[in-house]
Amino acid sequence: MTAPRPYALLAELTYRCPLHCPYCSNPTRARNDGDLTTDEWRRVLREATELGVLQVGFSGGEPLVRHDLAELVRGAREAKLYTNLITSGVGLHESRASELREVGLDSVQLSFQSDDVDLADEIAGTRAHQRKLAAASFIRAAGIPLSLNFVIHRRNIDRLPQMIGLAEALGAERVELANVQFYGWAFLNRAALLPTREQVTRARVVATAAKARLAGKIDIFYVPPDYYETRPKPCLNGWGQRYLTVNPIGDVLPCPTASSAIPDLRLENVRGRSLDWIWRRSESFNRFRGTEWMPEPCRSCPQKEIDFGGCRCQAALLTGNAANTDPVCSLSPNRARVDTVSRDLNLSSAATSDWMLRVNPSKDAAALINQGEALS
Amino acid sequence: MQIDCTTGRSVLLFPEGIVELNETAQEILTRCDGRALGEIARALAEEYEVDLATLAIDVREILADLQRRKLVEIS
Repeated sequence: MTAPRPYALLAELTYRCPLHCPYCSNPTRARNDGDLTTDEWRRVLREATELGVLQVGFSGGEPLVRHDLAELVRGAREAKLYTNLITSGVGLHESRASELREVGLDSVQLSFQSDDVDLADEIAGTRAHQRKLAAASFIRAAGIPLSLNFVIHRRNIDRLPQMIGLAEALGAERVELANVQFYGWAFLNRAALLPTREQVTRARVVATAAKARLAGKIDIFYVPPDYYETRPKPCLNGWGQRYLTVNPIGDVLPCPTASSAIPDLRLENVRGRSLDWIWRRSESFNRFRGTEWMPEPCRSCPQKEIDFGGCRCQAALLTGNAANTDPVCSLSPNRARVDTVSRDLNLSSAATSDWMLRVNPSKDAAALINQGEALS
Repeated sequence: MQIDCTTGRSVLLFPEGIVELNETAQEILTRCDGRALGEIARALAEEYEVDLATLAIDVREILADLQRRKLVEIS
């Protein structure tokens, strides 16, 4: 089939990160060697522009870990890409913020774990909160538009009003309040992270009211947890339609979580193929492109061009087959696999469950992951 | 504002998002240089020989929508 043109590239520069959040989007089993060089990334950015990409998000891990970040931002601007830095803020000193602005950085999305320092540092598994507050002021002083990103889960969802207050105090233009999505480390920690139905109902009201109150001042974007929805999210706006991700070692992914969730997906690498070939021709990008791959109930569903069958990674993680209908859909024969998780949680009013913090890639990671699987 | 080389259309980019501008929005935004909204509407109405009252509403609505998305600042 003919490939559409992509709009956005997610450049995962490294898996290393000083934070250890229990919902980290890093793969649970990651290699920690052979990262792309500065020149290789610059070539990827040029190839992305030629393919039609308009914007790049520099992410990780923590992208500030890369000392050549400013060089890469410069390369992206030379390739005429809009540049967005997705960061924890740890390592962003005053001079580095102005350096990034000088090379043309267009925007920063700064993550916060909570407005409350103790809770925030507990979630991050390190003392990061104060450094994030400092980073926010450096970003604003450098004149870079600031967005705050909050990952929402059971332990911080009741503090939504205070977190929105923090965004106001820091002069953010945008706030993303995204309920945690269950992939990677978050999937292992589902039992500790999923909010209760009651919490979710309250949070929606708070977010809607804040969006109206702050209209024109802060743009608020609230992402509900899909486990409580009856129709799946239109994941990626369709597989291989608008987005591509290049990970630290140069593998090109239709979706950043696919390497963990769909292990049999054969990934192509920018060291072996051009981005253009991978986007148009590779098996991985064509596997779920369009609607031909769909099974029932998607195949004959009037919604199939609206939600695209939901999320392939979620289907893989919950049903063992990435080609199944996303089990969040109430028409899916596997919906019970979603309901079991939320029912168990909503019945046990105590709702306390320990999470496991992310560990950096090493030999010990495998042992911890097995422990995590036993807990979940 | 920049040109999308694939389509030739004007676009506005923001974190994780893009707005493709129609011709009216594009014409309005190229005139956003500190001028008052009324002046922008008058300039466009003269240039394109259209009704000023209708155009003034369009200008306000389009800019208010972009302001909600934090893509323009109206002071």
